[in-house]
Amino acid sequence: MYMPAGKVRRDPRSRAVRTKRTFAFIFAAAVGGLASVGAANGEPPAEVRIGVLAYRGAESADGAWQSTFDYLSAALPQYRFTITTGTAPFLTAAVAAHRLDFVITNPGHFLELKVDYSASALATEEDLEGPPPAEAIGATVFAPAARAELQTLSDLRSLRIAAASPDAFGFRAASREFLDHGIDPLKNMTTDFVGFPVDEIVKAVRAGRADAGIIRSCVLERMVAEGAARDEEFRVIGRKPSSDLRCQVSTRLYPGWPFVKVAQTSPALAQQLSKALFSMQPGADEKAWVEPDDYASVQDLYRTLKVGPYAPFTKLGLLDLIFEHRYWAAVVIMAALWWLVHGVRVSYLVRQRTRELQLAHEAARLRGEQMEHTVRLSLMGEMASSLAHEINQPLAAILTYARGCERRIAGGADADSLREVVGRIAVQAERAGDIVRRMREFVRKNPAPQVPIDPTAALRDAVALFEPTAANAGLEVIADIPDGLPKIRADRLQIEEIVLNLLQNALEAVAAQPDRKVWIVAAAAAGRLDISVRDNGPGLAPGAAARLFDPFFTTKSNGLGLGLSLSRTIVEAHGGQLSVATNAADTGATFRFYLPLMEDVARA
Amino acid sequence: MPDAAPVIYIVDDDPAVRDAVGFLVSSVGYEYVSCASGKELFDRLDAARPCCIVLDVRLPGLSGLEIQRELQSRNATAGVIFITGHGDIPKAVRAMRLGAVDFLEKPFDDQVLLDRISDALSASGEALARNAKQRSLARRLEGLTEREREVLALVIAGKTSKAIAVDLDISAKTVDNHRANLMAKAGVNSVAQLIAWAQNPSDGDTG
Repeated sequence: MYMPAGKVRRDPRSRAVRTKRTFAFIFAAAVGGLASVGAANGEPPAEVRIGVLAYRGAESADGAWQSTFDYLSAALPQYRFTITTGTAPFLTAAVAAHRLDFVITNPGHFLELKVDYSASALATEEDLEGPPPAEAIGATVFAPAARAELQTLSDLRSLRIAAASPDAFGFRAASREFLDHGIDPLKNMTTDFVGFPVDEIVKAVRAGRADAGIIRSCVLERMVAEGAARDEEFRVIGRKPSSDLRCQVSTRLYPGWPFVKVAQTSPALAQQLSKALFSMQPGADEKAWVEPDDYASVQDLYRTLKVGPYAPFTKLGLLDLIFEHRYWAAVVIMAALWWLVHGVRVSYLVRQRTRELQLAHEAARLRGEQMEHTVRLSLMGEMASSLAHEINQPLAAILTYARGCERRIAGGADADSLREVVGRIAVQAERAGDIVRRMREFVRKNPAPQVPIDPTAALRDAVALFEPTAANAGLEVIADIPDGLPKIRADRLQIEEIVLNLLQNALEAVAAQPDRKVWIVAAAAAGRLDISVRDNGPGLAPGAAARLFDPFFTTKSNGLGLGLSLSRTIVEAHGGQLSVATNAADTGATFRFYLPLMEDVARA
Repeated sequence: MPDAAPVIYIVDDDPAVRDAVGFLVSSVGYEYVSCASGKELFDRLDAARPCCIVLDVRLPGLSGLEIQRELQSRNATAGVIFITGHGDIPKAVRAMRLGAVDFLEKPFDDQVLLDRISDALSASGEALARNAKQRSLARRLEGLTEREREVLALVIAGKTSKAIAVDLDISAKTVDNHRANLMAKAGVNSVAQLIAWAQNPSDGDTG
């Protein structure tokens, strides 16, 4: 029952408790003078300091226990009893500062003192005319009698309710009942803590500042008896049938107030006091002290509400714990930091690798496209080349037959002997014609699928493909291809092929120039896309322009004479036209072609 | 028969080209043989006649360059003139290195082709004559004994019978016997004639 003075309690929360004590000491030092003016004089007879919880004001508190004090003073004359009244926090601070030897307080506050400061109950009050000591206190929830709609605790949901303070015992007792009705007073109601004395609660409800009030049991009745309130003024909400308690209560009942021994108080003194209390005869107020209750129901209440000693770790507690284990905490924090840094680094690396991979994929895709592009272009070149070979066969035959004829005629051969070979020449000429016709029909009848393409990209790609060749030949390519040219419907590859062909022609045309330049300009206007390729070469030979687009006409030593002819066929298959002009002032040639824009095609 | 008439082999897979080239060369009096492939060429090739081969680079089966190599491995005297549908510089370079007479692009100039054919035929004729001489010499030397060949070589080198006797470690008389046998087999009367016979077998060849 007692705890020997000086014994250190092994409580996992002791660090928090000590900190709290330190805080309480500062608080107590500030108010210390008030708390126990006479405590410091230290004269015999020895001073016994008793704190009393005041819930209706200091005078009221003194008065309530006056008979007990009178009795103790008489029964134990060797002691001088000093009474200090105050609120629960005040008393707690005084206990922490070792300025009190005993405390008379409510069960809830006792529980806190018991857990935090190893206080113990010497006795429990008993009202001889009232209920048994285990069921002495409850709380009353009351509303103005005029509020007829307020009958049960559930009716108070989301209303404004007045109480003394969050840690007032009455409020806690009532909270439990509200929780049983599915209402958390701190969340589902507007709680108005008006402070002590509890008379303030009655005033707040009376004035309409609150819809209802929570007050300690019997206070209302006592106020009526004292004339501070009228009997018909209030109605008790959620009233419980009280067994022996003569007051109306809204909550279950808890043991009466304990006479509390503070941990440091000597067991001998405590024993003397408890003996005295148990033998105290009830005075006019019918108060007596009996064997202390175990306060299990109060513990149960606080546990249910998770308040007081059962409150979850406070922030202070956590920080305290960290401080106590600061070296381990440092290790944990370092580990956490390392883990964090590691995590960040890993995620950074993963992101970086992912990005690199994406770039590599993109590069590979571009390379693949480029390769395919080049292959297709070279296939077209191959096709043109094999076409040239095919054409060359009949041409070679024709020429050779003709030369043979010349020689025979020179040798005096007669017409009859040559008739047959002239026929063979004609056959070969027809064969060559067939090849040309087949080629043109192939291009015309098997147009590559024309799809909407972005000419800007196609033209720039063609220029980019040509650039290495141009750089090798010391040719400067000046491209003016604006962004966002309107789309055309075309076979992109064929368009690129035309541009490459024209650029290649330009390159060959400027080969003899010291300052080699080619301009490629694209512009959209009047429903068509105009593309021009201009060079600063020697321009066209007289008469060449007329034959330039004929198949196998070439002015180049190694040309096939097919490029421009095919280009023209392609442009025409796209609904456009290809033409050439010598630049003014004999500064090279300009090839122009246009292709209809898509909107135009759609209208047509 | 070194004096046999020259012949032109025309190898092209295109019958029209083959026929036209044949028509042209026959216009100036050449004899020609048309072949559609390398295999046909080798079936019909008469190595004994001065000849030239007008060869298309691109052929089914054996390619023009492969045919050229095959001809060289056979020590054929035929001059090779390549004709091609379109210029192919690397092939032309290789062909010329292997000794082609020329590399002409279709359509080719008739005069150029005929000139090259003429060059090739004369080269072929000369090579044939050279080959015949060597073959004739080889045949005659086959009739001599080992010792007679040794003596002949030293005689051509201008050595006297005595010197030869010392060189071969035989008596001068034996050397004289060998010389007499040599002259008899060559059908000549003097050392000078013997030397001429050994160096230029066509002259004074009786056989």
